[in-house]
Amino acid sequence: MGVTTERQDNTLIAKTEGRIDGANAREFQDALDAAIDSSERQVVLDLEEVSYISSAGLRVILLTAKSLQKQEAKFAVCSLSESIREIFEISGFDQIIAVHDSRDEAIDALKG
Amino acid sequence: MEPPYKILVVDDEPDLEPLMLQRMRRHIRAGRYTFVFAHNGVEALERLNQQDDIDMVLSDINMPRMDGLTLLEQIPKVDPNIRSVIVSAYGDMKNIRTAMNRGAFDFVTKPLDFADLQITIDRTLSHMTEWREALSSRDKLVALQNELNVASQIQQSILPTQFPQGAEFNVYASMEPARNVGGDFFDVLALEDGLIGLAIADVSDKGVPAALFMMSSRTLLKGSAIGMGEPGDVLGEVNQLLHEDNDTGMFVTILYAVYNPFSGEFAYANGGHNSPLIVHPDGSSSLLPLTGGIALGVAPDMPYQQQTLSLAPGDLVFLYTDGVTEAMNEEEEEYGVERLQEVFSANPPKDPHEAIEAVFDSVNDFAGDTPQSDDITCLALHRSES
Repeated sequence: MGVTTERQDNTLIAKTEGRIDGANAREFQDALDAAIDSSERQVVLDLEEVSYISSAGLRVILLTAKSLQKQEAKFAVCSLSESIREIFEISGFDQIIAVHDSRDEAIDALKG
Repeated sequence: MEPPYKILVVDDEPDLEPLMLQRMRRHIRAGRYTFVFAHNGVEALERLNQQDDIDMVLSDINMPRMDGLTLLEQIPKVDPNIRSVIVSAYGDMKNIRTAMNRGAFDFVTKPLDFADLQITIDRTLSHMTEWREALSSRDKLVALQNELNVASQIQQSILPTQFPQGAEFNVYASMEPARNVGGDFFDVLALEDGLIGLAIADVSDKGVPAALFMMSSRTLLKGSAIGMGEPGDVLGEVNQLLHEDNDTGMFVTILYAVYNPFSGEFAYANGGHNSPLIVHPDGSSSLLPLTGGIALGVAPDMPYQQQTLSLAPGDLVFLYTDGVTEAMNEEEEEYGVERLQEVFSANPPKDPHEAIEAVFDSVNDFAGDTPQSDDITCLALHRSES
């Protein structure tokens, strides 16, 4: 479960791919923790290549959102497939985590 | 394993003892080794039986009463983790081979080269340290597995097996646990005035922490359900309680409903859980609308709306966890809601127990031998025909 990063307009974009479930959630968490520095102010998690996310995976995203909130950084997820978006809606996570259609839209929203 | 290591030296040559102590004196003084001596195999076994902290044996082959090769066969019976090094005549390949076949770890040759002997001793001890660490990790794994089994048993033992019954309704629920300890639970509560509380829930993550979180969720839910009437209020309170001091990021999705068996009124609130199905007597079914609540334990002060519908006689409400719809087959396809609905349209359910058995059969047929990573949990309530 690798996480790749790039930077765009002072925003860190973290991206991963495949299934995020109970079997690799810990690995995902470690990779994400390592990718996000405590000095970051804007972080976008790009889920375009993620095919499935279980509740264990949602928990990692929640922990990331909470720790970014502590360091007063802004956080959003973007480019969710229809099934991932449904998971965010059913679980209600879209109420506490900003969800955007595209990377550019997310970056714009965090800048504002 | 920590030094000093205790080494049993077995040799019928009486001069060896002072020689060994003299040559190894620096290591003995540094606290690396201590030595015990025996003059034949019988004495060696006596020492091993008396002192259970001996780490390795250095033994000659030719000795009176019991020779070194016979001793080698006896040592594992005292302690299979002791490693032995044999001292043989130079070039005595036949005895060396026999010794190795009998489990000797290494050999040194006479006349003893003490520098070489020390290297051999250190290599033997370091091998043994790793071996013991591996054994201890294995024991820990077994202990952990036992712990998981206990957690799994606790988890299942708190699920109800007896359900409130009445002429107006019938209710049944069941869980097929995943191989790991999952975090699903359900509950059926007899509330005041003959009302029935129905809950189905799924805790994020697996294992012992999830099982503990699930148990506290279940207790809090039961407490709130008995104390409060409206499903939305119940979820709001449980969310508040679960969120306090929750820095693990763990959360639970819960669908909680209150059913009035006399009017058929079914009020439910959804905290991040998947939608229940309503199944009509003709086998047709539809998903109930979400009520927009977030999973519990995620954030404080979240609103939990509720919806109310009226069950007609013969209607069945089917609550389930995503272990059902996300059950996977060998081709990594998900079972999905459509297959679930087909089970009901093929055999319109008249009884909640039969309905759940039919769903389990269908899911198991679909999944085949593919091991499921999630608990599969169903709860069904049927309003009697008349």
